[in-house]
Amino acid sequence: MLVMRRRAGESILIGEDIEIQILHIGESRIKIGITAPKSVPVTLKEVQLIRQENLAAAQVRSVAALRGMLERLIDGPADAEL
Amino acid sequence: MLVFPDGIPAFEQETRFLAMRQPLNDPMVFLQSLGNPDLSFVTLPVPAVCPGFELHMTTEDLETLGLAGARQPAIGRDVLCLAILSFEENARPTVNLLAPIVVNIQTLRGCQAIQTDSPYSHREELPLREAACS
Repeated sequence: MLVMRRRAGESILIGEDIEIQILHIGESRIKIGITAPKSVPVTLKEVQLIRQENLAAAQVRSVAALRGMLERLIDGPADAEL
Repeated sequence: MLVFPDGIPAFEQETRFLAMRQPLNDPMVFLQSLGNPDLSFVTLPVPAVCPGFELHMTTEDLETLGLAGARQPAIGRDVLCLAILSFEENARPTVNLLAPIVVNIQTLRGCQAIQTDSPYSHREELPLREAACS
């Protein structure tokens, strides 16, 4: 990881097209301005985490749903053949 | 019908959902996408798994839900708050308390609200320790 120190108002350049500017430094948060082409996705790190978690939850859901549905229809454990 | 203007992460195109309960499966709430019949989530009402849970929503998320104001919405009064359940094989089920689904009860507009300053994980094992939730 490249570590740099910046003050409010100062910037960092990434590649040709990306600029990160420190806009304001608060007590526990800083405000960052990001200029990047539309083709470059910029998201909070947690969003990526939540994205992966949602994908995992959605996939497993369809199996659980099927099992649940079958149990309610047959009124017992799902038929082994199915 | 619930409307999620921005969908949810990984499913940004899914903007319409139904929340369904089935007496046999209470207190689980099934969130079914209307745009994709194969897409649904099992959720649990947050107060049911974590009674002391407090919302810390961002200004942006509050705006998405049409909730004004400096204070956080009250669960049960202003908003419905659901945590998505995840079942991995051979593991205990977990709930995402870092980013609950929050729905404005009046307007039925909702989003998945990633919490700021959250002590919770996206994979909190059930049942939750009492100390974590009071």
